[in-house]
Amino acid sequence: MNANEYQGSFLGRISIRRNQVVVMDAIHEQELEDIELFQKHVSDRFSELSSPSDDDAILSISWLRKLLDVFLCCEAEFEAILLMDRDPYQLSKPPFDRLIPELLDRAVKALDICNAVTNGVESVRHCQKLAEIAISALDQKPIGDGEVKRAKRALITLMAAINLDDKDGTNAKSTERSWSFGRRSGNKDRVAGQFRSLSWQVAKNWSAAKQIQSTIYNLVAPRGAEASGLPSPIYTMNVIMIFVMWALVAAIPCQERTGLPTHFPVPKQLNWAHSLIGLQEKIADEWKKKEKKGMAGLLDEMQRMEKSAQSLIDFTDSFQFPGDAEKLQEAAGHVAELTEICRIMEQGLTPLQMHIREVFHRIVRSRTEFLDVLEKGSLPVI
Amino acid sequence: MDECQSAIPTVDGELHVVAAAHHIVKALGTTKNLSDDLRKILINLDAHLSTMTSNIDSKGGKGFFGVEEQLKRVERKIMIWEAEQMMIWDSGPKDTSDYLEAVDEVQTLIDGLQSLSVYENRKRKELLRRASSLLQMAMSRLEDELIHMLAKHRQQFEPSKYVSCRSTRWNVVYNESFDSLEDEPAKETSSRNCTSNESSEYIVDLVPAHVIPDIKSIAKVMFTSDYGQEFCEAFIGERKEALEQYFAVLKMGKLSIGDVLQMEWTSLSSEMNKWTRSMKIMFRVYLASEKRLCDQILGEFGSCNLFCFLEISKATLLCLLNFGEAVAMGPHQPEKLLRLLDMYETLSDLVPDIDALFSEEAGSFVRTEFHGLLERLADSVKASFNTFRVSVSSNKSVYPFPGGGVHPLSKYVMNYIRMFPEYCNTLNLLLEDRHSDAANLVTELQCGRNASLSTSCPMACHLRSITSSLESNLHKKSKLYKDEALQHIFLMNNIHYMVQKVKDSELRHFFGDEWMRKHNAKFQQHEMNYERSTWSSVISLLKDDNPGSSSLSKSTFKERCKAFGIAFEEVYKTQTSWCIPNPQLREDLQISTSLKVVHAYRTFLGRNPAHDEKCVKHTVEDVEKSLLDLFEGSPRSLRNSPRRVKP
Repeated sequence: MNANEYQGSFLGRISIRRNQVVVMDAIHEQELEDIELFQKHVSDRFSELSSPSDDDAILSISWLRKLLDVFLCCEAEFEAILLMDRDPYQLSKPPFDRLIPELLDRAVKALDICNAVTNGVESVRHCQKLAEIAISALDQKPIGDGEVKRAKRALITLMAAINLDDKDGTNAKSTERSWSFGRRSGNKDRVAGQFRSLSWQVAKNWSAAKQIQSTIYNLVAPRGAEASGLPSPIYTMNVIMIFVMWALVAAIPCQERTGLPTHFPVPKQLNWAHSLIGLQEKIADEWKKKEKKGMAGLLDEMQRMEKSAQSLIDFTDSFQFPGDAEKLQEAAGHVAELTEICRIMEQGLTPLQMHIREVFHRIVRSRTEFLDVLEKGSLPVI
Repeated sequence: MDECQSAIPTVDGELHVVAAAHHIVKALGTTKNLSDDLRKILINLDAHLSTMTSNIDSKGGKGFFGVEEQLKRVERKIMIWEAEQMMIWDSGPKDTSDYLEAVDEVQTLIDGLQSLSVYENRKRKELLRRASSLLQMAMSRLEDELIHMLAKHRQQFEPSKYVSCRSTRWNVVYNESFDSLEDEPAKETSSRNCTSNESSEYIVDLVPAHVIPDIKSIAKVMFTSDYGQEFCEAFIGERKEALEQYFAVLKMGKLSIGDVLQMEWTSLSSEMNKWTRSMKIMFRVYLASEKRLCDQILGEFGSCNLFCFLEISKATLLCLLNFGEAVAMGPHQPEKLLRLLDMYETLSDLVPDIDALFSEEAGSFVRTEFHGLLERLADSVKASFNTFRVSVSSNKSVYPFPGGGVHPLSKYVMNYIRMFPEYCNTLNLLLEDRHSDAANLVTELQCGRNASLSTSCPMACHLRSITSSLESNLHKKSKLYKDEALQHIFLMNNIHYMVQKVKDSELRHFFGDEWMRKHNAKFQQHEMNYERSTWSSVISLLKDDNPGSSSLSKSTFKERCKAFGIAFEEVYKTQTSWCIPNPQLREDLQISTSLKVVHAYRTFLGRNPAHDEKCVKHTVEDVEKSLLDLFEGSPRSLRNSPRRVKP
């Protein structure tokens, strides 16, 4: 090889490299723009969630549905950024060979949470049915002892259902169901017959709290050079997924929530995360307040239902025919409130359940797509 | 009861007449241009009617006396049970019907009292209040009775009674990897013809038939008294628990998706089996029966039966769904294929049942989910089929397979695809789009005995493409042998094995005669090639170089004898360790070799009778006998054996 040839090829190589660099830069710039846009959208969506209108208070049914919508939107955008026109080989290299499997692992955990929560919606529906019985009893005029007793029976069962122990779906405070066989201990206030012990869907020792804990485990925000590249939307998506699942678990009754984490670290300097962190703190505060009491969850409608139901139980306890006019009026107010909650539940629970299922299927599909890409990327490059 | 009906109308009638008259008088009084006289008369009349009303009112108090008496009587009947530990329905039909009658009476009383609401009366209100309270007590009692009754009469079933034959299919688990499959793992000829009997539904009495009228009677009074919601919730709670109990009997472990994805294949395979079985029993037996029970009991009360049925079954359905989803999203290992096909076929068979059970709007969720699952299982079947094909062609060996026998890959593939014809229709359906050329030809294909059609169906094409991948892989593996003869033995063995497997199974309909002919020819070709590469040089030592002369010179003869001896011993030593597992094939080859070698040797010795017999190390008989030791897979040597001398 003479010097000339050598030089030629050397220069040629440089120019090829330069072109490649230019192309790479363009791709890279586009990518950075996409990432930035994605994070802006995340930020916008969560700030909308954190300033809800009166109709959809945080952790109400309609708010949860909005949250699920946010998840679906973010997920679609995320998938587009990561997978569209992507060389599969890139995703099989570090750090993605670690980040993506971790994300998919969290996705599988999220699926189980979706299932647990779908089942939990059923117990909310059960509460709705019990509340409806109380309503139809107390809607009578005039209210007599019969109506009051009927309402009370339903309301006590309702409270028992609300206080259901997450652990095994049985109520620690109630006398369980033994009475229905031996029956008739002479207890006038016995829990109504329709008290339902829930058998949970997911595996025996499965715990929503532990599941959430394990998704949080080793979640680390990208640092240094990674912070500006693709690892950053992966991190964002992880956080969104964890947040959504965590909020669902906090809101809706589900298997074993004792020890549900109230915090997972998201660096405050990430500007897309502001609203999310704010929401997290708000929900965590609520959870801490309520956790000790044992309860159905932070679902706004359930909390309102619990309050009204408790007031109505107090009313039924002190009721003596024909009843004090003021108290009757107060009770009528609670009945109206319960009626409204039941209406919201009637309209919202099934769609919520379907929505959770939709999220479930989306996660499955997206996981499959990622696995396909990973598989392609791991094939030897010829 | 007659008393009650007679008591109320008397009071009622009088009150009505007076009230109506009073009303007319008042209306008349408002007329403008009335004469003073007339107005006076009306005022008097008004006053008179007012006194009459108050008279009737006080008399009415007495008029309600009968009602009150009746209420007291019913109260006693109902209250007596409040202190009683025993359940009413346990104590006999007399008590039961008395109680129901009493409840009916309370209801009638309430209805009667309510119809009097046109006229306010303290007594009436008080009685009404007492009656409602009594009714509530009775209703709460009935609810307890209902739950007790449902719990007491919960029927237990041995599920194996209903769906047995198909679940025993493939007891042998295909958990083996490519390298460890023993031959003939699947002697079980399947019992799939049983499936046709299964299509009839096994509706059973989840609650004994004689209890149904009792439950219905409770339903009836509770619904009539507007306590239907309570009935439904109690019913749902109890039946839901029963259904979960049945589900537990099926021993389908409740597994999280994470669990399923991490499961070892052996356990997963058995869980998949259980799922298939549980699905059938659940839909065909339990849910079909549960639906009937709901209809029997609640059919008369609007759409309650549908609502209750859905609520009862939902949790169990989600459990079944989620296992299916978890399996469908798992890795597509080839060994999963048959089980996946089982799952797919089961669900596909059940889809009409599911659609029928949940035909209403409220059940659309269930229908959509199971239809979706069916699609995902189909995708999973296709993907696993593909992985199977890929792994057949990409299975790599580093060392030659010892002895040149039947490679485990051949065994695995052939034994595995032998099961496919059972799933012919399904595979044709699922593989069709991958095979668009053939698709048009075979859309209406019945996998029958029609040779020309069955060999061109998508499954047949795929099967042949798999065996041809196998063949080319075997060719690659054969190159690992240094000895060319052994390469041929290896290919002969393996192709012969493939042919046998096809011939002895349903596969023959899909591979067709042409394939058989071609592959018969192939292994025979290898047989011939073997003979040529091993024996032609050996036999050439025995050939006559000068056909003209009658015999060889002594030294040449000696030399040839020695060379033959060495060559033969060498072949013997090597090829006794080679292996032809099929006895027929081995014998055939021994015979044809024998024919050539022994014949050549005998001729050689016969042409040179004069020479010293000392040179002849091996007699013709020795050679003939020794040839029978070849391909037995146990290395031997002739060199150290004592020289056998002709007696």
